[in-house]
Amino acid sequence: MGIFRYLVRRLLFSVVLILGVSAIIFFLLNAIGNPVDVMMADNPGITDEALAAVKAYYHLDASQGHRYLIWLGNVARLNFGTSITTNQPVGGMLLTWGAETLKLQIPAIILALLLSIGFASIAAMRQYSRLDFGVMTSALLGHSLPGFLLGVLLILIFAYWLGIFPSYGAYSTRNPLLGSTVIDGLWHMVLPLTMLTIFNTATLTLLLRANLVDVLRQDFIMAARASGLPERRVVFHHALRNAIIPVLTYLGILFGLMLATAPVTESVFTWPGAGALYLAAIQALDYPVIMGETLVVTVMLVGFTLLTDLAYVLIDPRIRLD
Amino acid sequence: MLGVILIAIVVVTAAIGPWIAPYTPNDQSAMLSFTARGAPSWAHLFGTDRNGYDVLTRVIYGAPTALAVGLGAMLVAALIGILVGGIAGYLGGVADELLMRLTDFFLVIPVFVMILAVVRLFGIVVVGTWLERVPFLNLTTIVLLLGLFGWPPIARLSRAEFLRLKGMDFVEAARCIGAQPRDILFRHILPNALPSLAVVIALGIGGAILSESMISFLGFGDPKAVSWGQLLYFNYQVLKVSPWAVLAPGGAIFLTVLGFNLLADGLSDAFNPRLKQ
Amino acid sequence: MTDLLAVEGMKVHFFTQSGVAPAVDGIDFAIRPRETLGLVGESGSGKTMASLAVLRLVPPPARIVGGSLHFQGRDLLALDDASMRGLRGKSIAMIFQNPAFSLNPILTIGDQLIEILRWHQHISRATARDRAAELLRLVGIADPLHRLRQFPHELSGGMKQRVCIARALLCNPALVLADEPTTNLDVTIQAQILDLLEELRERLHMAMLLVSHDMGLVARMAHRITVVYAGRTCETADTRSIFHAPLHPYTRALLDSAPRVDHDYEHETRPALRTIGGRIPNLAAPPSGCRFHPRCPEAAPECARLRPEPMQVAPGHIVSCLKRGSPGVADMGAPA
Repeated sequence: MGIFRYLVRRLLFSVVLILGVSAIIFFLLNAIGNPVDVMMADNPGITDEALAAVKAYYHLDASQGHRYLIWLGNVARLNFGTSITTNQPVGGMLLTWGAETLKLQIPAIILALLLSIGFASIAAMRQYSRLDFGVMTSALLGHSLPGFLLGVLLILIFAYWLGIFPSYGAYSTRNPLLGSTVIDGLWHMVLPLTMLTIFNTATLTLLLRANLVDVLRQDFIMAARASGLPERRVVFHHALRNAIIPVLTYLGILFGLMLATAPVTESVFTWPGAGALYLAAIQALDYPVIMGETLVVTVMLVGFTLLTDLAYVLIDPRIRLD
Repeated sequence: MLGVILIAIVVVTAAIGPWIAPYTPNDQSAMLSFTARGAPSWAHLFGTDRNGYDVLTRVIYGAPTALAVGLGAMLVAALIGILVGGIAGYLGGVADELLMRLTDFFLVIPVFVMILAVVRLFGIVVVGTWLERVPFLNLTTIVLLLGLFGWPPIARLSRAEFLRLKGMDFVEAARCIGAQPRDILFRHILPNALPSLAVVIALGIGGAILSESMISFLGFGDPKAVSWGQLLYFNYQVLKVSPWAVLAPGGAIFLTVLGFNLLADGLSDAFNPRLKQ
Repeated sequence: MTDLLAVEGMKVHFFTQSGVAPAVDGIDFAIRPRETLGLVGESGSGKTMASLAVLRLVPPPARIVGGSLHFQGRDLLALDDASMRGLRGKSIAMIFQNPAFSLNPILTIGDQLIEILRWHQHISRATARDRAAELLRLVGIADPLHRLRQFPHELSGGMKQRVCIARALLCNPALVLADEPTTNLDVTIQAQILDLLEELRERLHMAMLLVSHDMGLVARMAHRITVVYAGRTCETADTRSIFHAPLHPYTRALLDSAPRVDHDYEHETRPALRTIGGRIPNLAAPPSGCRFHPRCPEAAPECARLRPEPMQVAPGHIVSCLKRGSPGVADMGAPA
């Protein structure tokens, strides 16, 4: 099968996946209660006529299936609806708040990948040494220390006790650091970025080191050494390339979950990103925002799974397209 | 080994909690004596929190909640996962294809984000219905959702294991002497698949406990249950004033999750002699 | 004739948490220019470790702890790492047991061969590719330019081993170490690969160390044979002497346990095919004295106390056995 046909097939399946998940989310949320009923639950003063008018405005008098199709049709035209709380288009809100999230998550993943390659290579090259033991123990601890607890610790130590970094927000409300909003923004990024990087690095190091140890045991590594190649080249050119292939899956998941894991990170650091937007939307029962963001999260997950599979095809010659 | 010790500590704490806890979990008397948010002292080893609870007591009473969440969610997930994966791997063909596509499908559902929304909406809808009287309704919902959406990794592994084992000679032999499919599945294949499954399930228990604590930390937990995540939620605002009320439950979550991770590590080492040196 | 490679008293020990295992504990062998030496022993006898030790590539937790290693008159154990690397693949090359695992699965054949050539000879990529193609043709691979662009998984097992042989010969080495080069191949291909190795050794004036457990194979290929048991050398002699006048009880047992076409087992003109009683010792706690004594039909009480030293009994025939007159040294088994 050619790469083109493979691509088309995978894309079609991805679309089916997204449609299916969006349907599940739509019906699950709407089965629990329709937005207006839910919102009016603690507002008994409203008249029946007013209620009916509101419902008609949001197409809530139509059947569930019909409403799903209306919503889907709008989404297909990139119209995610209007937020009930802010009256702004949901698409634009997701872009603005989402950008704040990605500003933290993307550098954190890239930094973590680079750091973990370094740590894992050092550990695997000196397997069973004290250095290896130290790296592995810290990685296991870092991997088991939930990210948000790490965030709490960082805030406690560096914001409250030492007073070096701000404890919340992405920007100072007034008097930006050194009078520059750029420096001020970077300054605010340090703690959340550190938290995400440490957590990702720990897990990636564990995975990479395990794979590297496995690969370094194989005959072709010994063969490369026996051919006179220096250890540096054996590890980085021959071993690492093989060891990193299984890690692609995890890397894809990290990228795919960038928005999904944001609520926790952003409530620890009071960061104005997509996660915070989502939490606020849930509290305010802002259905269009909830639906829109869940859909975007799903699309990211499916999209990065697809990209991961493509990366496998490009990197690993043993994979057959079927 | 350390993993087993950590888990044993949590289990024992959960079992004898009511006898060793210095106060009752609902004792807020510190509020009355103006000693809420009190630093650790002999009377309150881990201090008191902003609601006047004794932190140590609340941490102790959080242990059974954590275990119930972890075990409950993984029980549901393991049942579904082994069933789906096992059938797919054993039958193969069209059934395999369909079940694995279903698994792919569940794998991309943004579980965590969705649970938050469902818990919140559900909480409003049940007001005034009989469901309101169900004890620990929120917690049960969380456990069920974690289980109902947490099975795909178990299903994938079960499928791989069943596929591998059904081609093994001893299964072939059982088939030759006329064993029923049910016997082959449950007496010959499943017991041999359990070691690898145990690793994933141990990881899953830790993961479920962590998920619940994050959900509670975000304020979507069960107000009627005592849980570590909820302690974090109540006290995070006053982290600067009374860090002990955050650090104690945080430490409990960390050690429990670490315990299950180490257990999974130990199990996978024990079942993979190849990796032992 | 001076030796190309001389290995004396080679010791490789495994340092594990549960103690030290002397996997190789005094192996001697020597290879002359342009000859094939067969290194024979059961699996676990330390023969693979000994060959890796020649390249100073024993993997941790094992380490070379004693002995001497001379190649073309140079003391290899005294060389710095960079000079040692310069020898590997250039003057001494190795062919591994399992061709399926000894090629990097994600690099093309060409990448792997060209990399080595350019590393040792500082030539252009095009020159290196021509040389690689030439070698592939030499090892009997048709359409080498096409093969260079292929990945290992696109080749058959025999083809992969041919590529591995080509890789070993890239820089015209003086010595090739072949560790069970045909054990993992189909029987029909084994003979082809052996013929190829023999032909190339002759044509390219190389010496070869052929590591094997298979007496029959070694008999066919080797000029001289060194027999090892449990990490020590038992006997070294030319192939003819080993087969017609074996001295060491272990060599005899090994020969008796190998089926031979010139023996008529059915009509009992010879004793039946025999097995060696007992099993190869646990190297974490090897037997004291002569390591073969627990399984030796001729063992005497002193064999359990004294380690036999190698002794020349005839020109080129060296044996380590107290019963053949070798001097003994007190030996109490596993080192503390």
